[in-house]
Amino acid sequence: MKSHTLSRAFNSAMIPLLLITFLWPSPAHSFDLEKRVKERTLANGMKVIVMERHTSPTVSIFMRYKVGSVDEVTGNTGIAHFLEHLLFKGTKRLGTKDFEKEKPLLAIIEELGEALDQEELKGAKKDQEKTAQLNARLQEVQKEHKTLVESEVYSRYYQNQGGVGFNAATSNDDTVYMISLPSNKLELWANLESDRMENPVLREFYAERNVILEERRFRVDNSPEGELYEQFIATAFTAHPYQVPIIGWATDIRFLSKKAVEKFLKSYYSPNNAVVAMVGDIDPEKTFRLIENYFGGIPSQQLPPPSSTREPEQKGEKKVEVELEAEPQVLIGYHRPTLPHKDDYVFDVIHGVLSAGRTSRLFKALVQEKEVAVSADTSDAPGARFENLFVFGGTPRYPHTVKEVEDAFYEEIEKLKNEPVSGQELQKVVNQMEAEFIRGLGSNSGMAHRLSYFETVAGDWRYLLNHTQEIRKVTPEDIMRVARKYLVKSNRTVGVLVKKNSNQGAPVEKNADL
Amino acid sequence: MLLRKNIVFLLIAAAVLSSDLCLAEDNRPMPSDLKFPPISFSPPKPERVALKNGMVLFLLKNDELPVLDINAVVRTGAAYEPDDKIGLAGLTATVMRTGGASSMSGDEVDEKLEFIAGGIDLQCNQTHLMASLSILKKDVDLGLRIYSDILMRPAFEQAKIDLAQKALIEGIRRKNDDPGAIAAREFGKLVYSGHPFGREPAIATVSSIKRDDLLDFHQKYFHPNRIIMSVTGDFQREEIIRKIEAAFKGWEPAREKLPAVKPIEKKFPLSVNYIEKDTTQSVVRMGHLGVKISNPDHFALQLMNDILGGSSFQSRLMQDIRTDRGLAYSVWSHFGAGVFDYDVFAVGVETKASTTAEVIRLVLGHIQKMREEPVSEQDLENAKQFLINSFVFKFASSAQVTNRMALFEFYGIPIDYLDKYLENIRKVTREDIQKAAREYLHPDGIIITVVGDQKKFDAPLSAFGEVRSIPLEKFE
Repeated sequence: MKSHTLSRAFNSAMIPLLLITFLWPSPAHSFDLEKRVKERTLANGMKVIVMERHTSPTVSIFMRYKVGSVDEVTGNTGIAHFLEHLLFKGTKRLGTKDFEKEKPLLAIIEELGEALDQEELKGAKKDQEKTAQLNARLQEVQKEHKTLVESEVYSRYYQNQGGVGFNAATSNDDTVYMISLPSNKLELWANLESDRMENPVLREFYAERNVILEERRFRVDNSPEGELYEQFIATAFTAHPYQVPIIGWATDIRFLSKKAVEKFLKSYYSPNNAVVAMVGDIDPEKTFRLIENYFGGIPSQQLPPPSSTREPEQKGEKKVEVELEAEPQVLIGYHRPTLPHKDDYVFDVIHGVLSAGRTSRLFKALVQEKEVAVSADTSDAPGARFENLFVFGGTPRYPHTVKEVEDAFYEEIEKLKNEPVSGQELQKVVNQMEAEFIRGLGSNSGMAHRLSYFETVAGDWRYLLNHTQEIRKVTPEDIMRVARKYLVKSNRTVGVLVKKNSNQGAPVEKNADL
Repeated sequence: MLLRKNIVFLLIAAAVLSSDLCLAEDNRPMPSDLKFPPISFSPPKPERVALKNGMVLFLLKNDELPVLDINAVVRTGAAYEPDDKIGLAGLTATVMRTGGASSMSGDEVDEKLEFIAGGIDLQCNQTHLMASLSILKKDVDLGLRIYSDILMRPAFEQAKIDLAQKALIEGIRRKNDDPGAIAAREFGKLVYSGHPFGREPAIATVSSIKRDDLLDFHQKYFHPNRIIMSVTGDFQREEIIRKIEAAFKGWEPAREKLPAVKPIEKKFPLSVNYIEKDTTQSVVRMGHLGVKISNPDHFALQLMNDILGGSSFQSRLMQDIRTDRGLAYSVWSHFGAGVFDYDVFAVGVETKASTTAEVIRLVLGHIQKMREEPVSEQDLENAKQFLINSFVFKFASSAQVTNRMALFEFYGIPIDYLDKYLENIRKVTREDIQKAAREYLHPDGIIITVVGDQKKFDAPLSAFGEVRSIPLEKFE
């Protein structure tokens, strides 16, 4: 399904990678991954994972913080993602021509921006004259400040040294900063990133806030899929912060304050909340020493306690419709436990049986036999740190309706509950997961992504290693039990994109036959 | 072997960065003062092998993983479709994969392949089709048998043709859902108008395609002497050549010549196009024809484009429109050097409706400035350093290296293109860039395409020229 991750840059080589919703893998034999991966935890709690791969003189580095939109509170939604953007604005020593001269201007900009926001929040009752004055003054000071700024400084350092795939991404669960470099440039990374962790300066705040509003228009407000997904997730979760869209609600973004963003930064961006995975042509011991040198002096800090909110048991089906100028689609989500719960592995197998390839049950039934849909598959959403959803997604084929697609999904779910899955089908799923694990080893950035992801979300990258063993243990009875327990009407949310009646234009082409 | 020279890249830090940064208040050295050790690297070199039937192989062994990957480039594509059968090439590719072959039905192919986690995929663009096989080493024999059978003797089962046709038609019905897709499509149709590259499938053309059309299309275009195959992974040289020869045994080379695709007519008509959609953000695509890769000015144009709006956050469009003004999340430019014919120059940006005209004006200004003023020495140096220092990533995977070789030979790109690439980049001057900008950027002959709601625009599009409204097709 859609990417559950927002990237800083639009044209990112990393995006396809992040589209993988089910990051399995695991080993027929493990290709000595256990031995090839070396790890170290610094005294300040920062976790470093290194995997040697000497196929080309390059290295991919994923620095992941365990903080995402799930850690936000009402009124400040979108703050994790906004902060990710602002962390590209430099530090006390980088991105500036003279930080001492900048400081007072930054303070004035913040004061003016804050006053302007307070005025704008009054809506119709705002003082027009005061607003205009504040605005003019803000523009003026920002212009003056601009003369002291060295913009896009990370981009310049990394790209001049041949860095590629320079980007960052925020999800519900985490925030990741990635780069691939020629492997002799590793120190550049340590130099820039330790400074970014320790001394960031959130410059160009208000222009960047407008960039985020454009990003929201781009990803959600003018994207039928984006809009359906946002409403679907917000409906499925009543209490849990997974209900919040990663990018944030538009009115929250519009008034996010610098103070709030700085507080969020201080709370979560510490070495003990970070995992870095590096894969490529590097020497683990030398790498550990380099990282110790640069990051070792950054103090650890107390992290905010995790939210105690849990999603209450759902007591009946929920439905949401969005009416848009687009053809229909449907999403159906069921609450379910997350990793490392035993049932999570069962869901991984169910996903394989239902949606992996042209021989999967959903493709065969909905696309090939009933011909009610052009696509039908499953995924998990929106994150994995907390109990989440198992989601069925379908695209109806005209003249068939969403209702027919829904019914066909429910028919397949009933089969899962009542008929044991064959040994052949289970074996196919295991074979596919093993092969996917093997192929995954052939990419530096892919491995850096997985190692850092599972270390962050599952608490141990070895989740990768043990996954197939656990998958092999899943029985046909487990599948029936899990389907009966979770895939029930009272536990589901149905989101439907309904085509808005448009009054302009007449149908151009008709072909009743097809 | 294609690359005869043993290139060794010396990637040494160039301390060319600006010196006006203040001193660090901590004990980290300034990043511009870092010295990096040199690295040497001999890029892997695929071996070229020509088979008796005319098929060309590029082989590169890499036993890191027990996997074999094959990619075959086939000389066919949408540009070769008749006008009344647009969609035929894509449909042929899809149904070759799904519609069975001489030795097994389509469903059997799916069952066998998916059980062993193998993949066969056929995708075509305007001027080539890529047929790929990815298989675990232990299943190479079965994989090759299915793959070669599909390429040589596809069965085109009627049921699978129907299914693919219906999916294609549903895709056409949904083509106006996403504003970005609309803008990209309409811009493409305009920039290549009058040429096969500017066509798109319609329900009528897709519906008219019959099984015989697919059989004929396959018969006409799939021959071993029109295929260049890259082979990467864990194999033994002699054994894999023998196996590939055996798998494609009896396949005869074609004697007749392929029909030529008519050349693109070079023209730069100013046109302003408006496509109405009820949105809060306008999608803007603007540009015109680019150049061919045979044109040596494309090195200067690549650097010019990197400075204008290439991938970097440092680019002028990104810096001005996004970072400084906060008017867009995504803004980019592309100056293509076509391997077959002219590629395009394109700028893409999305901005809220009320800043649509402002953003178009800014983009035009940056294009104009590129023609009027030479770029700074620093901008040029930054752009060069990126291309030079990131060059090693062109060799990051074996499949990437081998596939590129196959495509180079397929499109007749000189075999020493990459050997000379860095030299060609290094020698570009500021004057070269301005000269290229003047010759190849045409702000007065640009196609502007906007999807959005003009009631909310800051100024009418007529400010940029006579506006043509393109109605969107409506479907039942």
